[in-house]
Amino acid sequence: MSSVELVTVTIDGVEVQVPKGTGVVETAAAAGIEIPVFCYEPRLGPPVGACRMCLVEVEGIPKLQTGYTMTATDGLVVRTAAASERAADGQEATLEFILVNHPLDCPVCDKGGECPLQDLTFRWGPGNTRMRFPKLTMDKPIPVSPLIALDRERCILCYRCTRFSSDVAEDGQLVARNRGARSVIATFEDEPYRGRFSGNVIELCPVGALTSTTYRFDARPWEIQNVPSVCGMCPVGCNIAATTREGRVKRILSRNHPEVDGGWLCDKGRFAYGHLAAPDRVVDPLVRRARRYDELSWDEAIDEAVGMLQAAEGRIVTALSGSETVELAYALGKIVRQGLGSDCAVLPEEVSTELDAARAPLSRIGQADVVVILGDEPVAERAPIVDLWVRLARRNGAEILYDLDEARIRSAERPVLIWSGEGRGGAEVARLATSFGCPGYFLPRTANGRGAADAWAASSDGEAENPDPIGLLIISGDEAAANPYVRAMAERAEAVLAIAMFRRPLAGIADLILPGTSYLERDGTYVNLEGRLQRLRRASIPPAPDELAVLSRIGAGIGVELSPYPSLVFDEVSAIAFGGRPYGEVGEEAELPQPVPAGQVPAPGTETGPGERVEGPGLRLVTYKPLFSGPAVERVSELEFQRPEPDVELTPDDAQRLGVLNGQEVTIRSNGTTVQLRARLAEDLSRGAARIAEDFAAGLEG
Amino acid sequence: MRIPPADYVEEVHRLRARYPRGRSAIMGALRLAQRRHKGWLPPEALEEVAYAMDVTPAHAQAVASFYDMYNLEPVGRHIVEVCTNLSCALVGAQQVVDALEEQLGIPPGETSDDGEVTFRLVECAGGCGSAPVVIVDGRYKEPTRPEDVPGLVEQVRSGAGG
Amino acid sequence: MAELTVLTGVETRDLTKLDEYRAIGGYGALELAREMEPQQIVETVTEATLRGRGGAGFPMGRKLSLVPPPEKRPGPAYVVANADESEPGSFKDREILSRAPHRFIEGCLIAAHAIQSQNVFVYIRGEYLAEYEVLNGAVEEARDAGVLGDVDVLVHRGAGAYICGEETALLESLEGDRGQPRPRPPFPPVAGLYMEATLINNVQTLASVPAILQLGVERYKELGAESAPGTVVYSLSGNVNRPGNYELPLGTTLRELIFEHGHGVAEGRALKAIIPGGSSVPVFTPDQLDVALDFDSVQAAGSYLGSAAIIVVDERACMVQLALRAEKFYMHESCGKCTPCREGTRWLVQLLEKIEAGDGTQDDFDLFVDVCDRIEGKSLCALGDFAVWCVASYAEKFRDEFQRHIDEGRCPFGGHSSVDGVVAPSDQHTHSAMAEVPA
Ligand SMILES: Cc1cc2nc3c(=O)[nH]c(=O)nc-3n(C[C@H](O)[C@H](O)[C@H](O)COP(=O)(O)O)c2cc1C
Ligand code: SF4
Ligand code: FES
Repeated sequence: MSSVELVTVTIDGVEVQVPKGTGVVETAAAAGIEIPVFCYEPRLGPPVGACRMCLVEVEGIPKLQTGYTMTATDGLVVRTAAASERAADGQEATLEFILVNHPLDCPVCDKGGECPLQDLTFRWGPGNTRMRFPKLTMDKPIPVSPLIALDRERCILCYRCTRFSSDVAEDGQLVARNRGARSVIATFEDEPYRGRFSGNVIELCPVGALTSTTYRFDARPWEIQNVPSVCGMCPVGCNIAATTREGRVKRILSRNHPEVDGGWLCDKGRFAYGHLAAPDRVVDPLVRRARRYDELSWDEAIDEAVGMLQAAEGRIVTALSGSETVELAYALGKIVRQGLGSDCAVLPEEVSTELDAARAPLSRIGQADVVVILGDEPVAERAPIVDLWVRLARRNGAEILYDLDEARIRSAERPVLIWSGEGRGGAEVARLATSFGCPGYFLPRTANGRGAADAWAASSDGEAENPDPIGLLIISGDEAAANPYVRAMAERAEAVLAIAMFRRPLAGIADLILPGTSYLERDGTYVNLEGRLQRLRRASIPPAPDELAVLSRIGAGIGVELSPYPSLVFDEVSAIAFGGRPYGEVGEEAELPQPVPAGQVPAPGTETGPGERVEGPGLRLVTYKPLFSGPAVERVSELEFQRPEPDVELTPDDAQRLGVLNGQEVTIRSNGTTVQLRARLAEDLSRGAARIAEDFAAGLEG
Repeated sequence: MRIPPADYVEEVHRLRARYPRGRSAIMGALRLAQRRHKGWLPPEALEEVAYAMDVTPAHAQAVASFYDMYNLEPVGRHIVEVCTNLSCALVGAQQVVDALEEQLGIPPGETSDDGEVTFRLVECAGGCGSAPVVIVDGRYKEPTRPEDVPGLVEQVRSGAGG
Repeated sequence: MAELTVLTGVETRDLTKLDEYRAIGGYGALELAREMEPQQIVETVTEATLRGRGGAGFPMGRKLSLVPPPEKRPGPAYVVANADESEPGSFKDREILSRAPHRFIEGCLIAAHAIQSQNVFVYIRGEYLAEYEVLNGAVEEARDAGVLGDVDVLVHRGAGAYICGEETALLESLEGDRGQPRPRPPFPPVAGLYMEATLINNVQTLASVPAILQLGVERYKELGAESAPGTVVYSLSGNVNRPGNYELPLGTTLRELIFEHGHGVAEGRALKAIIPGGSSVPVFTPDQLDVALDFDSVQAAGSYLGSAAIIVVDERACMVQLALRAEKFYMHESCGKCTPCREGTRWLVQLLEKIEAGDGTQDDFDLFVDVCDRIEGKSLCALGDFAVWCVASYAEKFRDEFQRHIDEGRCPFGGHSSVDGVVAPSDQHTHSAMAEVPA
């Protein structure tokens, strides 16, 4: 990387200087010249030269060359279609061949209007077709999965989707079948494409062959707006563009942040937006009267809330979800802590501020030569995109270790540490990383646990002590509502006030339910697992006023001054927690603050929630919360097929020791309960561990 | 996931060990599986290959469907193939095809109802010097002239083909 | 009978047996080679200007020298022998493998020593079952006798795909993937099998190496043509009295091959056309009988020696039908990776079918010529070029025959062509046809 040799390349007579080895397509771009492509996608690995769209003339080589399989060397002279008859003819030929078997059904194609094939044909293509024979016809569209539809007639066989499946996600599910003109994209026996990242192939497809079942025929490109925001489904905080039509979210696209997500999204982030329209969504304030809930007007609701807050006489516990924006968590804190002197909170999890010392962009993982992963929980289930960075590292030749091989780390040039599991909120990995002087990443369980905790801490410096009995339990968000620890607390509490999106989990628990909003309906900020402050933008109008607006009215009720505007609230928090950084500066593509020297700041709250280990017979039981779970996912039927399978994962060594075969049915016994599961061999585990998704480990716990 | 017979897995693992990278053994693994499944590769067979090779069934199917010698549909106990590429065609391959079609009672590409014989055409088999070429269960019968066909079919049906 | 270098001794002895081969000095060249420095071998082969027998005629010595020496390469180096022989008309490698397997193995081992490799892979086409058994037997015999030394020879069977003869497709297939070509660069000598340095040569090329060391460069260069010394095994087939393999000095004329060795056109019929290098190359007409069959002479005459497979076509063949049959082969064998070949070959078949049926118009013919033109030079590997060289040359040299199909609205042979109605594999419901894809 360091010493880049510059070379001079001439493209259509224009001289450009680029680092040696730059792709010719990029070099041309640098010269302001476009070389059209279909199969070219640098993020998919080495070039394949399949579509032949990028044919150019290269001085000294008789045959036309594919621009993107070539790299810049000094004195290279290239002529593109713009300057070369032959190149132009080559390009037109390619387009003609591509269209020979294309149905040209653009009027009924979702891709229409945002289709590279349409655009390139428009600009370089032949005006008419000379193909007078029957085209290949096939059943269309066929489901690749409940999420993805495939139109094989439109497919131009650029192999982008199959390369993504085999070389990026490495799930090997989507492949090419048959040979020659019979080649088609397929899954095994047309079974659904199960994989955490399948949706990316929709965005990769340069034509309308792979489309989203949840978006199909929903909107035309000119009717939509793309709202730049970040995903709130996990602590990675992938940058997204929420496509909206008439204020409704229609699809989620990636908005490539090269340091965070590299332009990929997981299927949870891409498809879970359906939860916005869930039938049990709370849209009006609800108050419990005897056995049922009645709707309240907003004025009544505010009075009710204020009443409950005052009645508790400071014996209030606030349970946060970790999905609150920084502003929302701060606002809550300001009301109950500053306003009512109740400092006790249940934070979703502890995230150590020591991590700031080992802070580095996620993209660093991709460049590492040694990646050490500790903690036994599957990286992909906690922070899916991190799994892709790790796979990239492996493809780049990195060694992936699942135990702390200090010698190996010290001998490595660019090691990184990843902690996927509990481990005291990352304090452990932070300490290790700083001792090795390398980046350390902790994968929290919640999207903004870190930001919520910081904001809560910033809202007051009162000391927390546990009230007994609990006068009022405030449940903020649906994750908190689902947390067994919080629910147990609710049993004991004299009163319960909940702010949440969904009604079902709260029925019978909460006395007052105020409508909550989704990350897609809010403005504000999140702090991702890197410690990167990112900007959330409202893509969809919530069915009720958002939490800040409501809290500012409640605040007024108890004499706490609180702005309803995230920008102003942020400025308040920022002054305390984010070095006074102005809201406006948390831009489209947020950058990562510099690492700060390690210092001790005790994180508030108590750690609770799933993921605890139990002694199994001979094996240590490790349970984890699957990616495809949680309040949002449970409400999107299209994601049902992605729920985890009843597997128990073992290291190959342990399997051998126990004489268990990969794929064999096994019985797991633990404190009396037994479950039937299928054994699967996993490398990313430490010896002696048996890993089971929460969904199937219920009986085995505690 | 489908667990194949242990001896098949061992066979494949031995094959994998012969290569610097085990993945290279997939063609052999497919061939072995085909032998164990009556000459073709039903989905279960591909799942067994995938298991033994540590690849996805989709990959096994992708590879199998690329090559002409892996059968993804049931075949007869015997396979009779005729080359009709240039050198064979020039010296009367089509007459041999016609004779076989008559004797076997099925057109090329089909399998006889009794499941005895699959009859199909192949591209140049590398027997152009002794054309026309007929291949029975992988064994070249060259040259084969129309007049040789009845005897050949007789042989095949009596099982002495391969 | 001229001196042989590849099939020497096969007439008199059973050279599939190690001791028989040794009895005529077999593996002597290997002993000489193992005395020599690797670099010396490279130089010797370079001086002998041994040109590749697989089709391209690329000098083997140059290829050898492109393989980085151990200190200059990150990993191991591999020798890959291309025994996929699938070019229509070719059957020379089959003869070598089944009758002189040890000479071929000896060549492989010498090459391995020259690039200091411990692994030889032989990729043999799946259809060659008997040949596989013979070769494998020979390899085992050699191994047991300790001839292989520290080199492992592995015979890998293909499974029916012409494209796997293309070197990069072969490597993909050998690595366990679909046999689709890779873009070059990088070239195999630098990044081949498993992206390591790889020497890939045709069976006959490798089998020619022992003779070079045994005879010495001078004696070897006395054989054959100036620009391409040595002998080559010509595969003669089609409408000829004595088809078969003939090992002769490079540069033998078509006339000598067909009329002396092949005893002329069958049943004394008139010669109509000659395909000089396997079905993929442009066709010759009888007036070109005196072209010498070496790489440069054939190329100067407007075609390629290719795999030295000569197909003789007599007066009874309809060139449109022949073109259609040939094109169906390329459509069937196109790997499907790159656009022009995948889509173009199918389009050409459709056009030829129409013309052959007598339904073709002048526009169809012009379009046919233009589509050929648009495929050539645009595809990822040479199969796309092969698919047009042959048929385009038929249309050019037998233009009148194509014209008559259009003008008369029927095949002028009226059903009496020797290749009338010949059915191709692509016409039948072959394996793995997607039900919804009409062939
Ligand atoms: C479509 C296609 C098919 C080929 N088939 C063969 C083949 O069957 N055998 C072979 O030796 N070379 C074949 N080749 C040539 C190889 O790519 C390669 O040039 C050759 O194996 C190099 O060996 P050589 O230098 O000894 O000739 C083929 C090339 C193409 C484009
Ligand atoms: S030219 Fe044909 S065979 Fe070669 S890569 Fe392209 S599609 Fe495959
Ligand atoms: S043409 Fe039939 S074997 Fe070669």
